Amino acid sequence: MAELGKGNTRLSFDLSEDHDGAPLVKLGGELDMSTAPELESALSPTLAAKPARLVIEASELQFADSSAIALLVRWANVIPKVEIREPPDLLRRVIARMGLSERLEVRP
Amino acid sequence: MNGRADARQRWPFWIAVAVLVVGLAVTGVLTWISAREYHHNETRLIELRAHDVAGALTSALPSIQTPLASAAALADATDGNVAKFKAFIAPYVGLPTRPFVSVSLWRVSGPAQGLVAVAGVPPALPTSGVDVSAFMRRAAASRTLSLIGLLSGPSPRLGEAYTGMSNGPFAAYGEGALPPSRYEPPQKNAAFNDLNYALYLGRSTKRADLLIASVRRLPLPGQHAIVRVPFGDTYFTVTVAARGSLAGSLPQRLPWLIAIVGSLLTLAATALTARLIERRLATERLAGELEATAEENRRLYAEQRGIAQTLQHALLPASLPQLPGLQIGARYAAGAEGVDIGGDWYDLIELGDGRLLLVVGDVSGKGLSAATAMAALRFAIHAYSAQGDDPSAFLPKLSRLVNVQEDHHLATVLCAVVDAKSRRLSITNAGHLPPLMISDHNSEYLETPVGLPVGIEPDASYASVTVAVPAGATFLAFTDGLVERRGESIEAGLERLRSRVAANHASLDQLLTGVLHDLREDAPDDTAVAGIRWLS
Repeated sequence: MAELGKGNTRLSFDLSEDHDGAPLVKLGGELDMSTAPELESALSPTLAAKPARLVIEASELQFADSSAIALLVRWANVIPKVEIREPPDLLRRVIARMGLSERLEVRP
Repeated sequence: MNGRADARQRWPFWIAVAVLVVGLAVTGVLTWISAREYHHNETRLIELRAHDVAGALTSALPSIQTPLASAAALADATDGNVAKFKAFIAPYVGLPTRPFVSVSLWRVSGPAQGLVAVAGVPPALPTSGVDVSAFMRRAAASRTLSLIGLLSGPSPRLGEAYTGMSNGPFAAYGEGALPPSRYEPPQKNAAFNDLNYALYLGRSTKRADLLIASVRRLPLPGQHAIVRVPFGDTYFTVTVAARGSLAGSLPQRLPWLIAIVGSLLTLAATALTARLIERRLATERLAGELEATAEENRRLYAEQRGIAQTLQHALLPASLPQLPGLQIGARYAAGAEGVDIGGDWYDLIELGDGRLLLVVGDVSGKGLSAATAMAALRFAIHAYSAQGDDPSAFLPKLSRLVNVQEDHHLATVLCAVVDAKSRRLSITNAGHLPPLMISDHNSEYLETPVGLPVGIEPDASYASVTVAVPAGATFLAFTDGLVERRGESIEAGLERLRSRVAANHASLDQLLTGVLHDLREDAPDDTAVAGIRWLS
């Protein structure tokens, strides 16, 4: 687990591979305007390889704001398949409230 | 603050100087005390030794007195028998180890007064100024040894005379040899070889009266003591001086040791003190620099926060339009901390013909780029509205101004077109939180279709929904700063706001101020909120 963020805002992430070799990112803590850019730079080497699929395991996520959503949207725009696995209710609600349910693939 | 305190502040090394001065002063006093003690001790010891010398001299008196007294008594008894006199006195005369070089027998009364016999060399006797016959008579009458004085010459002598106890007509007179130069080097292993001494005849210490001395040059060097010893009918005066330290070498060197060690300790303490002062100064300097840096940071923080807030307010409407039958209000509140300008905004645009466009939006992220995007969106909406576009027409066009892929921002925008005369409201939502409609004893969110946020899809389509407004109702649109809290779902925040204003009958101004105050107490995020109240 790597730790990102300053002060009270903390994001942890763990990069591994899904069963088919697709990058799998486990997120925990808070993904917001201060941690989202740091997560993006941390994952940029992985995404530069242009994977066909990206899996985001979000069950431990405790907060997500519009910057977090913006990051997910941008990933969804460049990676053919972005799968958000087991999102907590708060993330699911934010995605729905922002009208992005059809844009971001959410799996229970 | 007085002058001395000023001096301490100006030059903190005064403590080191004080340590030096006090240390040297203490060392000096201790050195002086130990030197004085040593001196007193030596004086006392030399006086004791002088009395030892006097005692030794006194005890030497009988070795001179007794042979003369016995010889005189023998002459009295034998009526001046010369042979017996010479036989008796011979063991005391001649050799250097014997007391006399010359002993003579004198008749001091009766018809044939004068020299009777001589043992050893002839007596030297004073050549002038002394009446020898009178001296011999006086000696014979005395009960003590009589000294005629120092007899100078190539081989100086001390002359002494004595008579027997019988008060007879004879007196014995002896002369002892003195070294020609009066100098006799001290003998090794002798009782007084730690002393220099000078022995004088009589009560003075004049050179002429010197009998013998252990040094060639007088007076004696160093500390000395003088004692007078009765000897026969006169005195010996003895001056003695220690040849070294009588108490030993340690007491003699102690003052020097104290001076050297004390000075070294003082110098070490001074150096240590100076070092400590230097460190303290360095620490204080560092602390001062850190404090100055922190103060500068606080100042810069306050300045930047002030600039951000000024800019934010400059980007928001300077005044709100007035329409008959409507109360219109709006607020912006900066985040509780941070210097970044936010991307939240509100706008109220008069469309003419009694219609009004209310906009509340939120550009994701913070800082100048978010604020720039916000300003671009706000003024674009003004322009598109002016040329007659309604929200569903201009919202897709806004994605030409903001692009999440390029500038990382997206924006949620809620638009409401109000017709003041008809009490109807048309809502268009681009990814934004739902507005709240507050009527008498009831408040509910207007859940209308939600389109994509601005900045994702230039071809996105937005549906507008028209709702009827209850009489006296209040319409409230806001950004997520009002309801969002870490660790809870957005739904919980929405419900908190709804229940807060459910039965609120205050004025619109009081309502806006109240929700900002009550719901944002620990919210770090920016918040924009705008409301419209229908007066009938």
